[in-house]
This record gives sequence, C-alpha cells and structure tokens, in this order.
Amino acid sequence: MTSRPASSPAPARRSLRVVAMMGLTALALTACSSTSTPQAAQDTGAGGPVEGGTLVYAEVTPINNWQTQAARFYEKSNVLNSVLDRLTYFDAEQGELVPWIASEFSANAAATEFTFTIRPGVTFSDGSPLDAEAVKLNLDALGLGIESAQIQPNVDFAGYSSAEVVGENQVKVTLPSPNANFLRATSSVTAGLVSPATLKLDAAGQSAISQISGSGPFTFESEKPDEEVVLAKRADYAWAPETAENQGDAYLDRVVIKYLPEVAHRAGAVQSGQVDLVRGLQPLDEEALTASGNQVLPAEGIDLTVNMAAVRIGSGKLADENVRRALQIGIDRQSIKDTVLSDSYELAGSVLNHQAPGFVDLSDELEYQPDEARALLDEAGWDVGADGIREKDGVKLEVTVTSSNNSVVIKPAFELIEQQWREIGVKLDNRAGDNTFLATAMPDPDVEFFGTRQFIYGGLGPIFEPADNTMTHTSDEDLNVIFAAERAAAPGPERNELLAQEQRALVVDKAYSLVLWDEVQVYGAHSDTHVEFTSGTAPVFQGAWKTGG
Amino acid sequence: MARYLAQRVGQALLVVWLAYTLVFLAVQLLPSDPVTIFLTVDSAVDQAAIDTMKSQYGYDQPLAVQYLHQLAGLFSGDFGYSLASGQSVRDRISGVAGSTVALAGSAFIIAVVIAVLLVAAATLTRRNAVRRVLVNLPPLFSAIPVFWLGLVLLELLSIRWGVMSLFPDGSFLSLAVPVLVLAIIVSAPVAQVLLKGMNHVYEQPFIDVLRAKGASRSWIFFRHALKNAAGPALTITGITVGTLFAGSVITETVFARSGLGSVVLQAVTTQDVPLVQGLVLLTATVFVVVNLIVDLLYPLLDPRILKSNGQGAPRALAA
Repeated sequence: MTSRPASSPAPARRSLRVVAMMGLTALALTACSSTSTPQAAQDTGAGGPVEGGTLVYAEVTPINNWQTQAARFYEKSNVLNSVLDRLTYFDAEQGELVPWIASEFSANAAATEFTFTIRPGVTFSDGSPLDAEAVKLNLDALGLGIESAQIQPNVDFAGYSSAEVVGENQVKVTLPSPNANFLRATSSVTAGLVSPATLKLDAAGQSAISQISGSGPFTFESEKPDEEVVLAKRADYAWAPETAENQGDAYLDRVVIKYLPEVAHRAGAVQSGQVDLVRGLQPLDEEALTASGNQVLPAEGIDLTVNMAAVRIGSGKLADENVRRALQIGIDRQSIKDTVLSDSYELAGSVLNHQAPGFVDLSDELEYQPDEARALLDEAGWDVGADGIREKDGVKLEVTVTSSNNSVVIKPAFELIEQQWREIGVKLDNRAGDNTFLATAMPDPDVEFFGTRQFIYGGLGPIFEPADNTMTHTSDEDLNVIFAAERAAAPGPERNELLAQEQRALVVDKAYSLVLWDEVQVYGAHSDTHVEFTSGTAPVFQGAWKTGG
Repeated sequence: MARYLAQRVGQALLVVWLAYTLVFLAVQLLPSDPVTIFLTVDSAVDQAAIDTMKSQYGYDQPLAVQYLHQLAGLFSGDFGYSLASGQSVRDRISGVAGSTVALAGSAFIIAVVIAVLLVAAATLTRRNAVRRVLVNLPPLFSAIPVFWLGLVLLELLSIRWGVMSLFPDGSFLSLAVPVLVLAIIVSAPVAQVLLKGMNHVYEQPFIDVLRAKGASRSWIFFRHALKNAAGPALTITGITVGTLFAGSVITETVFARSGLGSVVLQAVTTQDVPLVQGLVLLTATVFVVVNLIVDLLYPLLDPRILKSNGQGAPRALAA
C-alpha cells in the first residue's frame, strides 16, 4: 500500500460539496423514490455521499490483458471503466449520448463525417494533455489497429480510414461509407482513451494495467497478478460525463478489485462483509442476500443484444422459416423466468433490450403456443416418429446448442428449453456452458444454436451481416439491405423504422434469433454500498460511496 | 549405476519430447488454428483480423515449419506468446509458479507426514477398534472431493465464523487451509500403499527375529519396517504429482489464489493454445522429473535393482 495522496482539495470546498450533495440526494429521494430499486433504501441516516473509504469489488475471473479494445468482456470493462474516459457517454435514463471528453460532437447528414470538440484542461494520469492530437492518435489506433504492437482494429470501428485535427481543439473523422453507429461506438469502454505514451508500448506493455495511463477517475496503484488490482482515485478529476451526478473527483479513496471464481461464495462474501460489491450473483442467492439486509442490484445491459439462441441453418434442419418460427413460439419464456431466473431478469421483447434506442415490443409474437408450433412443424413436413422425435426424409429433428460458461443462468435455461421442445417433437442436445465444445462449434455452421449476447456499439449489422458471422453463419440478402440502410440513416424516425424492420425480421419473420431475456448482470452489494451502473453494466465507481466511508 | 542413470534420463527426455509432439499434433487436429479459436470465443470476429493475427503469430506457416520453429524455440527457452495477455508464455507461467510451488510443495510434505503418522498409528496401536478406524481413513480421504472440502471449510471458517479471509491475505490460515485440503487428497494413496506394504513387511520372518531380540514396537516400525515398506509408497508418491497438480487447479479456484491452477483454468477457458501447450510441457516435465528422482532413489532403498540389469525396477505395487 502506498501512502494516500496529500489531501489537495481545500476542506471548505469539500464540505460545501457534501452539503450540496445531501440536498440533491434528498431531492432525488423524494422525487423518484418509487423508481428506485426496493432493496436500495438501506441507508438509515438519509445522508448524502460519504467521502473516503475503500470499496472491495469481487469480479468473476482474473484478467491479465488490459489492452483497451480487447475489453469486450465484463471482467475487463468493469475495471477499465474507472480508468479510461471516452469521447461520449450513453446516458441510460435519457436514452442518448451525452458529452464527456468531447464537449460537443456532431455528424453530417450522410453519417460520413464526425466532428468532436475536445474539452479543454483534461490530462492523462501521466501528466500529458488529452488534447485533439491525443484523440486523433487514439482514434487511429482504434480504427486501424497498431501493427507494430500486434494490436487489431476495434471491431466497432469498421470502415474507419482516418482522423484529422481541425481548428484549435477539434478532431474530424471521415468514413468512406456512412455509419450512423459510429458515435455510439465512441462511448464503449473498448474505445477508452489512453495517453500517447501508452499507445507506443508493445502488446504486452499495453496489456499491463500498471502501464496503462488514462484520464479516468481512478488510476492504477498496485497489483498482485491473478489476485487483485488496487485503484486509487485521482484527486484532480473534474471531467465526468455531462449528466453524472458527481462532477468532481471520486468519493472513494480506493477500489480494490479481487477475484471470486467460486459462484457459491458470492452472496456469502457480501453477507460477511468481506466484499462491498460482487458480480455474477446466482438467482438462487438473491433472496437470501436481500433477506440479510443487503442489496441485489440488476444492471441492465442496454448496450448489448438480449440473451438469445442465434440460429445457424448449415445443417439444413432449420433451413425452413416455419421450423425456426415453431421453435421461437415453442419456448415458454415465463416458465424459464419462474424456474431458473429471478425478478432481476426481464423477458425479452425483441432482439434489443427494452431500454435500447429503437426497441420494438414484439412480445405478442413471442407467446408460448405449442399447438401452433406443432402445426408449423407438420406443415414443414417434419412428422413425429415412433420415439416422439420428428423426422423428415430419414433425418431426425435433433439440434445442438453451444454457448460459453460466462453466464450463470444460460445452461439451466437451455435445460428447460430442451424439455419444452421435447413437447413439440424436437430434441435439443444441450452443450451450453461447455467451453471446449464452444471452440469447435463456434465456427461450425452445422451447430444449430449459439447461446449468446453481444455488444452492439456498431448496431446489429456487424453481428448478423457478414457471410462468416459466427452468430448465424448466414448472410441474408434481404436483411443486409436493411442493415446497410440503417447504417446510413441519421438518428430519427426513419432510422427507427429501419431498426424496427430489422427486429421484426430477426425475431418474427425469419426467426434467426430465438430471444430469451434482456441482458442483465446481477450484482450483490453490501447494505452500506451505493453504486450505479453504465448502460454496458459496468459499476460507476466515480459516483460510488459507502455509508460510513 | 551409470547405465541405469543414462537409461532413466534418456527415457525421461523421450517422454517430454513425445508429450510435446502429441500436444502439437492434437492442436493441429482441431478444426481451426489457435488464433481463430481464441478470437471466436463468445464473440463475432472479422476474418481480416483473424488473418492478420495468424500471420503475426506464425500460424499461417506450413505445419512442419511451425513444428520445427516451436521446437527450436524450446531449446532457447522461448515457449511462444500467450494469445490472451501478449506476455511470453515463460513470463506468464514463471510469474505464478512460485505460488503453486508453495501450495503444492507444502501440501506434498504435509501429505507424506499425514500418511506416515496415520500408518504408524494404525500399526502401533494395540486397540483393534482404533486400528479399524485408522485404516479406513485413506479410502475416505480419497473419496472426499477437493472442491467440496474447500467450499465447506471456507463457508464455515470465513463466511459463518469470520476467522479467515475468502481471499489469500498472507495470514497463516489462508495458506494452511488450502494446503490441508490438498494434502488430504494426496495423502490417501500414499497411506493406502504404505499400509499394504507394512502388512507385508510384518509378515516377514525378520520382524519376528527383531521382536525376539526385544526391540520395541516403535523401534521396529521406524528403524526397520518403514524402510522396507517405503519402496512401493515412493512409487505411488511419484505418481501423486498428477493428483497434486489437478488438486491445485481446484484448490486455487476455490480459494481465489493465483497460481498455475488458475492459469490453467484461464488458458483453457479462453482457449489460449500457446499457453496451454506451455503448461502441458511444464506438467509433463515435472511429472517426468519427479518420477526420475523416484527411480534414482530406488536403488538406495533396494540395491538389488541395479543387479537386475537396469530392467524392471519393481514398479508394480506390492499389492
């Protein structure tokens, strides 16, 4: 442990801020007490944020590659979120992008030119300025990759060609073809800004959190590889996203990130007070945690698709749209929620989460209709065989699902679907949670289902469009026309109509995505912990605090 | 002796080389290359990105070139690069090996102590009931799943009673408890074989001679019987390296410790093939070296082995 930095802010300023915060919080509490999570009202003293203290946060697995654009896993992005700032921030409450390091941003009508005005006075933790030049270097590294360091381009920046510094403090990005999703991509943790010195390091250097210099509210303090990372707050931090409640430096002095691979201990770790916040709570543990006076905090994954079984038609068994539709309505989603999920999980209404911009509610089309499903399968020529499994031309309707073990609920969910599909004469081989199988099944179009959820900073197109996409391994001409139009359309009613067409096609008409539940990461928190989350489910430690410090 | 030594060392090197080659071939049998496997875990990836990374790591070269290149690398201590962290495999492994050596090494010593004490107590006790309980402990030990014991101990000690941390914090208990959990499973086969060997030794006429001369029970046990029964137990001890390593993977996960176990788990779940290859090579080497040491210790226990022309060290258990 290094010594704490000398307390630079004048005490007067601080106490003033605390008073102001208390007032604001009291207002907020009276104004929207009905919308706050029922478990959150643990603080008895009705006090505002408390300065100081160390928050212990337990992640699921250790990470040793902190390279920015590889931060597509929660384990990384949840930590890097506090170390790296981005040009823009997606405010979930308003449902729109708000200024962050870019105090202003705009796109031309064709969605090919994007201009960012860089906020003055921002510095990286190594002391260098976060100016237009630094932003250009970062955008180039994200869009083009860094060949000398063997770093690949960021997948959300597809089609990027160049950025140039214009005017005094502006950066202009020009894309060869329209991409209205580009701005949203700049809000992702995988587009976090690092200092020019960090960009010059080799791959191993850029992967080491000790060497990453960002402009975020916390900086690296110490590390025990595979066991813990300690972050200390930046006392001079003053450039939070425009809508953040806390506009100054973090309340907490320190965040300690530990790893708790064992799922059985997550609730107990919080209950015994050994950690203040833990990710990956099992639905089973939620009730016990709430009953013990602690909190269950579901963080909605608005930046991701819902959890789904993406359909591959390579084996031919699901080539007929009617068969896919039958399987879509052959899933009893409510029973999945009642059996393996909890109240923290909302059933999917589309391939987008309920709060995502452009969401269209298709839940009427997703009702459980086993009879209708059977009729569709009959119509498609799949007849029930002697063992109850349908067959056609001597082929049995046996299908396989693959998925990683990253979600605590995906395997039991598919176990239930296996039973439900059995009712309509379909046999599901459940390989969910088997990572070894996943490696071979992922590139195999013959494995019918891929259980997953994906970040959609580039929209749905990049996931479903390419011919070699791992979701469907199918490039659908009709869909691609809509994806292309959506990418080119500026935000507004016209684009929303295109988004609606995409969702309807993916979920209903073509049924390439058997949607299950909205992506949510369920956190367990001690009764003293106060924390909110980004639209990508990362905890916002800049605004977090602990009752009693 | 020189011939025996050369033969055993040669065999050891052959086994390591074969293990490496088999892993290399097994990786080639996978439907795609290590880079594609790594990049496509749980996400959709651009083919161009895969191709670039493949050429950067040399996976676009012909098989024979890759194999010879990797093999040449091994001799200069270059085990390739971990795809996940970009670190060299050597740095990644050596960074955490110390923690595992401490855990597995202590567990191994404690396991041997547990086994010897248990067998001594079972052999020396005059009470049949006590003896019956003691001889049934090793089968019980081997039946207890490592993760279950670890979970139960943590639930009680850390969550219920709050006397130890869920995380390794350098305290005595945070090392002692995982060591004990691992030692218990490892002690089981050693104790079982030692017990069997002991029964055999006590049937030998020389024990009667010792008794007739008035030697005490403990003198007979520690000075004569133990050495005679130690051979098969030594062999099984060499083989427990595997149990020790597998147990470390689980123990490190349950106790949130860094170490080879957690690296193995990460390497396998993220499909980081170069790292897995490095770990397999390390495991094979450790296994072979430990068994080589056992083989070399054998003649010290039983000089007849050298006379049998270097063949057929009594690897068959006494059972």
